[in-house]
Amino acid sequence: MVVGGAIIWALVVGLLLYAGHARREPITARKASWLILGGGVAFPVIVLFCLLAYAVWLMPQIRPFMPALMDNKPQIEATGEQFWWRLRYLDDGGNTAFETANELRLPVGERTTFRLKAADVIHSFWIPSLGGKMDMIPGRDNVLSLEPTKTGVYRAPCAEFCGTSHALMAFSVIVMERPDFDAWRQSRIEAAAMPQPAHPGRDLFFRHGCAACHTIAGTPAIGRIGPDLTRIGERQTIAAGTLANTKDNIARFIREPDAIKPGVEMPAFGMLPDGDIEAIAAWLGGLK
Amino acid sequence: MLIRWRHVVATLVALPLLGFFIGWLGIIPLGASGGHWAVTDWFLHWVMRNSTRTAALRVETPPPLDDPARLPLAAGQFEMGCARCHGSPAQGRSAATLAMLPPPPDLGRVVPTWTDAELFQIVQHGIRYTGMPAWPTTNREDEVWSMVAFLRKVPGMHADTYRELAGLSATPSGTVEPPSMTCDSCHAESRLDAGSLIPSLAGQSVAYLLESLRAYAEDKRPSGVMQTAMSALDKDDFPALAAAYAARPRQRLAPESADPQALDHGRRLAETGDAARRIPACLTCHEKRDGNPSYPRLSGQSPAYLATQLRLFVSGKRGGGPYADLMKTAAENLDEADIQALSAYFASR
Ligand code: HEC
Ligand code: HEC
Ligand code: HEC
Ligand code: HEC
Ligand SMILES: [Cu+2]
Repeated sequence: MVVGGAIIWALVVGLLLYAGHARREPITARKASWLILGGGVAFPVIVLFCLLAYAVWLMPQIRPFMPALMDNKPQIEATGEQFWWRLRYLDDGGNTAFETANELRLPVGERTTFRLKAADVIHSFWIPSLGGKMDMIPGRDNVLSLEPTKTGVYRAPCAEFCGTSHALMAFSVIVMERPDFDAWRQSRIEAAAMPQPAHPGRDLFFRHGCAACHTIAGTPAIGRIGPDLTRIGERQTIAAGTLANTKDNIARFIREPDAIKPGVEMPAFGMLPDGDIEAIAAWLGGLK
Repeated sequence: MLIRWRHVVATLVALPLLGFFIGWLGIIPLGASGGHWAVTDWFLHWVMRNSTRTAALRVETPPPLDDPARLPLAAGQFEMGCARCHGSPAQGRSAATLAMLPPPPDLGRVVPTWTDAELFQIVQHGIRYTGMPAWPTTNREDEVWSMVAFLRKVPGMHADTYRELAGLSATPSGTVEPPSMTCDSCHAESRLDAGSLIPSLAGQSVAYLLESLRAYAEDKRPSGVMQTAMSALDKDDFPALAAAYAARPRQRLAPESADPQALDHGRRLAETGDAARRIPACLTCHEKRDGNPSYPRLSGQSPAYLATQLRLFVSGKRGGGPYADLMKTAAENLDEADIQALSAYFASR
């Protein structure tokens, strides 16, 4: 992209200098009108037509306009909420296999189909490195499909203004080899049946009512108003791409989420007794 | 003589100066002993009535005022906050207040001359230049309406009825004369039932009682009634009071019969919430054996009181202790049917 841009830039500047410096006879009116017709009408029409044809050819793969006919059932349901992403991995029957939030894992070299929803206002789902964006609209299911071709970690911002913390609403995408992906997926499915061991932070999490809004597999926490916190310790970031995932940042977010993300739907817990927040953060950060 | 511009200007400058001068001389009589001239009296009262009538146009339509549960807290508030000026069915006006200018009227006689909305306006906002105070908070229209309901009953009220309503007869012995208001005048379990707007404190957690008392004292939880009740109380007495009430056994204030469908709806919301409507499960915070003691006990509480508090949370007027924001978030999306159902469920739990 940079190289292409540089070449075009050099060409344009070169032409400009040529036109400015070379002293020649003016070309004839006939020649001039051909130049205008050719360079100003025919050339762009042909180029744009080719691009359009290519895009139309590409479209069904990215956005299956008749998803029922094309045999790709959604494998992931993504819901935009103010100001985070609810991500549900679906099984073959279309039921939720497990839920997570704010971090997507995908197998490389395969097409994954998404069902996109919104819980409150319009958001937009966009992983710039993998493909086009699509709006998430309340009361509507949109379908998008993407095929990552390289493993790695990508960032995906919300691409539709959705409120005060819109700019703080992103998720990370980890593209993995198929076997790694399968192992991860399987372990997440099994997490529900694996009781989490005792921990002081765990007791405090329940004592203070965090379970009202959060789910953690392997514990009695089944709140569904906020993000699923199962194995939150393995994520790259917390609070929808806003802070690096460290225990200090988790503690900070619990203490004053509204200072970090204005308008956030989670109440601040700064009034908890000293040490409780740190203990909870230590437990959450260790959930891997 | 021709009136020129400079005459006008000179007069405009001189008049206020003259006013200040007379004020400075100290010859304006402000003593109340002589009373007003009859014409001044008539004029001031006439202005007051007109102003009240106009201001009352803003008052929304009154809620139903016939609920007898409105009377005890209003009667208690009347005894604590109004009787010393206006007298009460149990006690006449003192000579000291009759010497006020204007003197506080006998409410039994004047109440019938006002509409509900006008009474609301007077009790909520007070009357300027007369000594008639405003309600201690502007955030509790429900309390003010209860007072209006009570004032309606004052004409012709028997002294014993009044003492019974205000809880004056609930004071343990007859040794104190005249009987005075105590916390138990309102909060004694024996005076509460399923319709009570006064909460039961028995068996509540110490931490929550203490935080609530502090919240009232620091103006973080608006309630004209409780703020008046606590005005004579010392901060150092809070812990003992909280501990005493917490130690009492709780009696269940559930109604004898409740709509089973509502109870069921209430139980479901309490146990699982409704994620689609962003209502969390109440039992993840309340009523947990090992829960945070600042999250109050709701079981057995009067359903009418619970419903009032939930409505206050929904409208953002409740306030409370350091944890109150959590409850505000939890209640945000409740509608009236949820509130009825949850109150019935927790009362009978
Ligand atoms: C009223 C519901 C509610 C309660 C109660 C609540 N949270 Fe949250 N929480 C949320 C919401 C909503 C978010 C998403 C915020 C955002 O990023 O916009 C969130 C986000 C978080 C995150 C970041 C999650 C992520 O995916 O990065 C953590 C960590 C967290 N909460 C911990 C807690 C802890 C610990 C408690 C108890 C002390 C708690 N929460 C109580 C609603 C709640
Ligand atoms: C400090 C003394 C004082 C207290 C306390 C007081 N009032 Fe008054 N109130 C007055 C005075 C004085 C007036 C007369 C105003 C006037 O005539 O313009 C008045 C007028 C009124 C009126 C209008 C009556 C009329 O026709 O003039 C009502 C109703 C009333 N008070 C109710 C209450 C209630 C209810 C309370 C307790 C919440 C209360 N007052 C507390 C002094 C007091
Ligand atoms: C005139 C009646 C009255 C008197 C007297 C009274 N209270 Fe109250 N109390 C109420 C009412 C009404 C409420 C509910 C107020 C509200 O809506 O916030 C209440 C609420 C409370 C609460 C909060 C309970 C809860 O569940 O949130 C506490 C604590 C309390 N009172 C303690 C006391 C103490 C201590 C005293 C004695 C100093 C006292 N009250 C005197 C009527 C009274
Ligand atoms: C995240 C924790 C949390 C959740 C979930 C929660 N509450 Fe509360 N609730 C509180 C706290 C904290 C208070 C005390 C507020 C204060 O400081 O006065 C409270 C107070 C109350 C009160 C006032 C009690 C009184 O005596 O005045 C009622 C009623 C109530 N909650 C009902 C509910 C209901 C119904 C639900 C479920 C829809 C619910 N709560 C969910 C934390 C919670
Ligand atoms: Cu968004």
